[in-house]
Amino acid sequence: MLTICMKTEQKKLKHSHLWMVFAGIPLLPAVLGGGNYLNNLEMLKSGWYSLWTQHSLFYAGFFYGPLIAIYCSYIWRVEHLNYNWNSLMTMPTSEWDIFLAKLLMALRCTVALQLWVGVLFILSGKIVGLPGLPPGEILFWLLRGSLGGMVTAALQLVMSMMVRSFAAPVAVALLGSVAGFLLSGKGVGMFWPYALMTEGMNANKSTDVLSSPVGFGVAVCGFLVLFTVVGVGYLKYKDVHA
Amino acid sequence: MEYIVETRGLTKRYSGKEVVKDVDLKVPRSCVYGFMGPNGAGKSTTLKMLLGLIHISDGQVAIGGEKVNRKNRIAILKSTGSLIESPSYYGHLTGRENLEIVQTLKKVSGKEIDQVLKLVRMEEQQNKKVREYSLGMKQRLGLAEALLGNPSLLILDEPTNGLDPAGIQEIRELIRELPRRMGMTVLVSSHLLGEMDQMADYVGIINHGQLIFQDKLEALHEHSRDNLRLRVMNQTAALHILKREGISCALKEGDLELPRLADDETAQLIGRLCEGGAGVYRVEEKQKSLEEIFLSLTGRRGSL
Repeated sequence: MLTICMKTEQKKLKHSHLWMVFAGIPLLPAVLGGGNYLNNLEMLKSGWYSLWTQHSLFYAGFFYGPLIAIYCSYIWRVEHLNYNWNSLMTMPTSEWDIFLAKLLMALRCTVALQLWVGVLFILSGKIVGLPGLPPGEILFWLLRGSLGGMVTAALQLVMSMMVRSFAAPVAVALLGSVAGFLLSGKGVGMFWPYALMTEGMNANKSTDVLSSPVGFGVAVCGFLVLFTVVGVGYLKYKDVHA
Repeated sequence: MEYIVETRGLTKRYSGKEVVKDVDLKVPRSCVYGFMGPNGAGKSTTLKMLLGLIHISDGQVAIGGEKVNRKNRIAILKSTGSLIESPSYYGHLTGRENLEIVQTLKKVSGKEIDQVLKLVRMEEQQNKKVREYSLGMKQRLGLAEALLGNPSLLILDEPTNGLDPAGIQEIRELIRELPRRMGMTVLVSSHLLGEMDQMADYVGIINHGQLIFQDKLEALHEHSRDNLRLRVMNQTAALHILKREGISCALKEGDLELPRLADDETAQLIGRLCEGGAGVYRVEEKQKSLEEIFLSLTGRRGSL
């Protein structure tokens, strides 16, 4: 049933032009990061690692979270509009399937975004004149960041489900990401869901800050389970107001 | 009798205030059950509780003889079609794509899409985006979605809202046919009494959250036994004679309204009134409209 639900979720995204947003916006941190790198060449001497510090600084701090938030808001917007809550909740599907189908769509988005950012990172490295290809470690950080992104996706999905506004949850994601960046710097990032993107991506760092992958894994799983349970519980026990 | 929908003591409270109280709905199989009441009487809330969209505060719901609970919710929804409040639709998708979503979730064959499109006469518009539809077309699309999967129970909340007169007639005829043609039970709400007269086999009337009448449509009409209306020159004299004869009467719009009498009794009474100088110049039989029956049941005038 979950795959059936995902199929219909996929259909609801038709004609949405969302892909343009996701293709276009990640260009900004790539350009900003590349520009910053070129302006500070005398300080940034570690090649690909240095470029990563600049690219990820902008991307993890300002763009990744809000992009995920836009996706989650869109997924729920189609239900908030035109009384679709009534139809969504009277289909023969369980509340788990409804929420998990949307969550899996959002998780797929977090990974796809990272792959695209990886491509842009390599391109901008080539443009600023870095030799060869980036070290595998950076690509590993990138994908590890998507685990943090999944936590953000689950949280945003819960928020956008409860709030009809499209923009408010996106704004929360932006503030949350900036706060995450700061908290991560203070070493308490594991306790703040939005900081896990920064932590996972090792943003603005050229050596791995994640000394304990276990702690990171526990935080990711813990938050994912928590937000999913809250989301499904809301669907189960809250009266529908279409 | 076996009921496809049966509620017992169905109650919904919002912060202590009962918007639906102690409703015992009994909907027989394969009929059209008209659920009537003024706006805000609790029709939608009741229907939403049947579908699990709103949680019940008290009482219970049985559908198809089974008490509805968390476990059988999905099975019950599978054999239920519904159209609640206003039609639900994904405006950026075509009518057909909307139907495909429901068809996929209800796990029914794709062929049914063509069948329901034909049933609501929407074949021509199926590939247009729904946001470009008129309200009437959206309403029909919603009905088509509800009909997918050939449900045994169809719950329709004011399905003719927003339709033009021709569309209203068409939808009524369709609803009328469903029990006979497909064995469905249609539970349909409306605030229009005349509409129910044309569609329903059974009626339930809800007012201020309470079910005040529930029976066959004919039984409702029995409440509409004709009255006798008299217009006289001298009302005082007429009232005096009626009192002497022991006939109850009420003043309505300047007329005297009496219960219906046998023909010979009527003749006798008129004779006496004339002798007594009441000056009878009009005698007519007055049939109660469904609206008046409703008002006499609810004791409330005003907009329905």
